[in-house]
Amino acid sequence: MAQYLPVVTLLALAVLFAALSFVASRLLAPRNPTAAKSAPYECGIVPSREPPERFPVRFYLVAMIFIVFDIEIIFLYPYAVISGELGAFGLVEMIVFVVAVFASFVFLIANGALDWGPSRRLRRVDPRVSAERTTATTVRRVGLDGREEAA
Amino acid sequence: MVGLLAQAGEAARLDTPEVEWTALAPVLVMIGGAVLLMVVAALAPRGSRVGWHAIVTIAVAVAAIATVVPQWNRVGDDGPFSVVAGSVGVDRFSLFLTVVICASVVIATLFTDGYLRREGLEGAEPYVLMLLSASGGLIMASANDLIVMFLGLEILSIAVYVLAGMHLRRVRSGEAAIKYFVLGAFSSAFFLYGVAMVYGATGSTNLVEVADFLARNTLADSGLLVAGFALLLVGFGFKVAAVPFHSWTPDVYQGSPTPIVSYMASGVKAAGFAGLLRVFVVTFGDYRLDWQPIVYWVAVLSLLVGAVLAVVQTDVKRAMAYSSINHAGFILMGVQAASDRGVSAALFYLAAYTFMVAGTFGVLTVVGRRGDGHHQLSDYAGLGRREPLLALALVVFLLAQAGTPLTSGFLAKFYVIDAAIESRSFWLALVAMLSAVISAFLYLRIILAMYGSSDDAETADGAAATAGPRLRVPAAAGIALVIAVVATIGIGLVPDPLSETARDATPELVASGD
Repeated sequence: MAQYLPVVTLLALAVLFAALSFVASRLLAPRNPTAAKSAPYECGIVPSREPPERFPVRFYLVAMIFIVFDIEIIFLYPYAVISGELGAFGLVEMIVFVVAVFASFVFLIANGALDWGPSRRLRRVDPRVSAERTTATTVRRVGLDGREEAA
Repeated sequence: MVGLLAQAGEAARLDTPEVEWTALAPVLVMIGGAVLLMVVAALAPRGSRVGWHAIVTIAVAVAAIATVVPQWNRVGDDGPFSVVAGSVGVDRFSLFLTVVICASVVIATLFTDGYLRREGLEGAEPYVLMLLSASGGLIMASANDLIVMFLGLEILSIAVYVLAGMHLRRVRSGEAAIKYFVLGAFSSAFFLYGVAMVYGATGSTNLVEVADFLARNTLADSGLLVAGFALLLVGFGFKVAAVPFHSWTPDVYQGSPTPIVSYMASGVKAAGFAGLLRVFVVTFGDYRLDWQPIVYWVAVLSLLVGAVLAVVQTDVKRAMAYSSINHAGFILMGVQAASDRGVSAALFYLAAYTFMVAGTFGVLTVVGRRGDGHHQLSDYAGLGRREPLLALALVVFLLAQAGTPLTSGFLAKFYVIDAAIESRSFWLALVAMLSAVISAFLYLRIILAMYGSSDDAETADGAAATAGPRLRVPAAAGIALVIAVVATIGIGLVPDPLSETARDATPELVASGD
């Protein structure tokens, strides 16, 4: 059990540090709250109005691309360290893995995951109305719906 | 520094396993085909009229079935063997289920093609995901190690979670996906915990070594092992939709795109039972007295809850979800028997059930109409007059599910009940027959709705008038329905080839050669 002592010590220190921070902040910090400070997501700037329109959320695409490369590095780096010891077996395994990752990368690019411009891809689909969500925007293009003569 | 370099230079080669690629061929074909389809479909222009995505998918699945044939003969000649350091076993059991899972992919693909066109969804992603999911099922069927089993389970599940939410514009589809994902993640955690317990009790995750250990040692305190059984059963029970791990089934089946449900009910269930049979019947066979009572009660509950709740549903898709729970109870009887006869009965049931349930959901796909929302019992009123052939196909599938003689369902039920009686579970057999009678009421209710009496005909015609134009059965779906009908009646009339194949397909655990 002795070899677990450092882990337990670190755990105790972490808890202690967090608890002390709270207590110290409570004791030492001056308190004079204003509306801006107690607003949610406070960052010093008071929001003057609600966001005027829906806007595309691309975070999930970034997160997905990140995962592709993240996983790749997680495996490639250790492999680079012991590639000699793994020999041909490791090489084949890594090639299989890298091909799979590369295929997903091709898939992402071909589907426009890296097209960050506003609506270049959108113009290619039906200009009147498109209920589709593309990778360039998650906002559905409506508005001219049903006005075929106008178009 | 120099010493360090020298040390690195003469570092011992790590012990890497020999990989026999030909033995992994079905899985490799499925994964390779899926990745290729994904890349090519992404680069090719979208919106082609020919459904080449579906054609490629079917070709890949058929190729995977084709790779099974030489291996089947090889196992016949040389006996079962294991590869990749004993973590993957190739026996006729795994090969049999490989064919079953690939067949369910073929049929579901044929329905998916028409469905995607009707719903205005494009892209090869559903097919890619289905192939990947099926490859996970193949891994489960041949896993000889609990960790590999878990990998297969996750590959199978994660793709299906996405498939459940494939219909972007239906809220219910997204709801189904989230529900399935959250509950599925829980069940995976249970499964992993079970793996840890078994490892703690036996000192290995390799099924061969676990079985070996249990055969050679008598555990003074089997509490840890039994806890492992229970937790593993939760993981498998969730995938095969057995009560009390079934609560996701109606919602997910109802919300998911119907052709995907056809795959879920056939392929995913087959993969779940593959794992269940291999882990419990084969590996923990010596401890059957510990787990048989648990499986016994899970089977009883599945049979009764599935049948009774199916009858009170008015949504046909939901009713079919409960009916699939009832069928899971039947197959669990084969597991509970823990005998060779039980295993072959379960395999026969899975093969027969794949065709009838896939066909049933195929008809439901067509009847669902654009929007996939017409699944009330009233939507089936008068179908017998409007679409005689479609209605006839559904009658065949429903009668088979009810277990009518001359269909595959009768023999499937007969074999599992036979296996239960052989293992002296008389009450279980009685409950099974009772539940078959109860669920027969459901199937007859749908059939009566389709061929309703003249009194209903008036309202049915009114409903038909409001429901719009005739149902369009896409050519691909028509082919799939013909395959499913022929298989369902064919197995019922000439059961010997399948039942003998299922008898040959005994699961065996073989330690690695090296």
